Amino acid sequence: MRAFLQRFGEREALLALGCVVSGLVFSILSPYFATPDNLLTIARNSTELLLIGLGMTLLLGIGGIDVSVGSVLGLAAIGIGRLLEAGAPPALAALAGPVAGLALGVVTAFVVIFGRIPAIVATLGLLGVYRAGIFLALGGSWLSGLPTGLTNLLAARVFGLPVSVLVIALAYGAIFIAVRLTPFGAHLLAIGNSEARARLAGIGVRRVQVAAFVISGGLCGLAASFYVATYRNVEMTIGATLALEAVAAVVLGGTAVTGGRISLLGTAFGVILLRLLQNGLLLVGAPSLWQPVLTGLLLLLVLGAEALSRRLPLERLRQSAVGAAWRTGAR
Amino acid sequence: MHTHSKVALLAATLLAVGSSFALAADKKVAFVPQIIGIPYFDAMEAGGKEAAAKFGVDFIYQGPVDTNPVDQMQIVQNLIDQGVNAVAVSVLDASSIAPVVEAAKAKHVALFTSDSDAPKSGRALYVAQATDEGLGDAIIDEMVKRVGEDAKIGIVSGEATASNLNAWIGFMQARAKAKYPKLKLLEPQFAGGTAQRAAQIATDLMTANPDLKGLIGVASTTCPGVGQAIETAGKIGKVIGTGYCSPNTARAYLKSGSFGYSVLWDPKELGYLTVWAGKQLIDGKEIPATTTPDGMSHPVTYDAKTGILLLGEPAVFTAQNVDNYKF
Repeated sequence: MRAFLQRFGEREALLALGCVVSGLVFSILSPYFATPDNLLTIARNSTELLLIGLGMTLLLGIGGIDVSVGSVLGLAAIGIGRLLEAGAPPALAALAGPVAGLALGVVTAFVVIFGRIPAIVATLGLLGVYRAGIFLALGGSWLSGLPTGLTNLLAARVFGLPVSVLVIALAYGAIFIAVRLTPFGAHLLAIGNSEARARLAGIGVRRVQVAAFVISGGLCGLAASFYVATYRNVEMTIGATLALEAVAAVVLGGTAVTGGRISLLGTAFGVILLRLLQNGLLLVGAPSLWQPVLTGLLLLLVLGAEALSRRLPLERLRQSAVGAAWRTGAR
Repeated sequence: MHTHSKVALLAATLLAVGSSFALAADKKVAFVPQIIGIPYFDAMEAGGKEAAAKFGVDFIYQGPVDTNPVDQMQIVQNLIDQGVNAVAVSVLDASSIAPVVEAAKAKHVALFTSDSDAPKSGRALYVAQATDEGLGDAIIDEMVKRVGEDAKIGIVSGEATASNLNAWIGFMQARAKAKYPKLKLLEPQFAGGTAQRAAQIATDLMTANPDLKGLIGVASTTCPGVGQAIETAGKIGKVIGTGYCSPNTARAYLKSGSFGYSVLWDPKELGYLTVWAGKQLIDGKEIPATTTPDGMSHPVTYDAKTGILLLGEPAVFTAQNVDNYKF
């Protein structure tokens, strides 16, 4: 178990355990929780946040953030919706999402990096601009009941797996390879630890930052394609909660808000845990007002425990003989 | 002397011409929406124009480009300064309207509210679209017509803090209790402001309650979520969706059958009634307790004590009539 934990990473294991335990509790309390249909529903509900969270992981990794991700999804979704309304082929509409997202990612990168504005301020500004853009593009009337072409396209199965599962696996796989097997990952974390030192070390800081924002934009656009396929609707407030949910899931997953440490697997588990809790709490009949409370408490608990463990002399304890005994005993 | 009399004559003529112009010119009724460029207020504008043509007044439609209360009050002030005779406002911020009410009184301009009220501001009257009670009753009555009284109904609302949504839910529950004791309304679930979360909640409600017969989307943003969830779950015909949403928002779901009906009011009629009310105020006519304004198909009620002129029963949109509406 200990070896497993070490290889797996403690936070990821903790979250996986959290998913399993809460899943067990929910299936005891509700006969409808552990059914194939419901588990599929949880997976479907997680799709967009899994993609957006992946981008957010990279952004937090370089010590950045983007609070406008929901609006980027919204703008891309309008583009996709308009194409579908105009009778464009679904494949074209599906591609329009990531293309629009990449373009908006370039805009965000430009404003943040070349405007030399702190990411949280710059993207807060962009959030306002993009929201106004969504309003103007929709003109007060939403896109509702869009044609089902895209829905059918993305509901298709390849090698027996839903397209969404494949796309998510590919996206996580590609980023994993980039982070682990190319200098990109080391550079990313170096910038997150200290931008100044990374620059002194000769790292192309701007290049890495631009890449992170553009990748995040592209993933938001990709999420928009799945969003439109699933909900076939674009309303004025589209994606309003996604930025906060993404940050919550990513931080829950063990990525440091201050940069310099990321966990892709942790992000995936963080997203699934959030969506699982939302679904399970409703199924067991908890009032929906409790759901954000619980999410908030969970976040505080995890981060609080982490802060506490850093303050307690646990490391020294662990290194001592007593500590080693305690550690093996406790686990 | 000669020149002087000429000047005097000229002045007198000008004065006469001027005043005769003023007499001949139509009275002006203005309406200031919360925002311009959205279908809802476009429909009110269309109704206002129709009434203006019918009752022989000039209709001015001006509003802010975003829902900014300061901009809105500035527009109202400008209209008062321009010398309109009556101005109706769909109030964005009830607490900031007092100064323009004073300004209007000083210039003898009839200032009244329509669509959104500021009850304690001293406005002349309020043209109301529907009562909270009327809306609550209508959605429950229409649901029972379709699924019967012995049924379980889920409620998906928006923000838990929205007072209008909570009032509607309160009247739904009261109606069910008073008239349909067998009807079971589930505890309302709050989706916040997005259709995505509403769809997730609607799906979960159907999972947790396989015997669910109806789903009510209380906030307009929850309507598409409820409709889409019923379609995705393959429960068209088994679960009747509905909500307080405009025909444009509900159209696709009404046509697919995931929505049985949608309840709201007709903003075009509301705009028509607004201009009619402005004309009554300019003419100084008392509005009777019940009356059918020229050009309207149904009576409206007026409560002189509260100053509320009520458009009437909410409108029910179905797959059959939805294409007659464009908002």
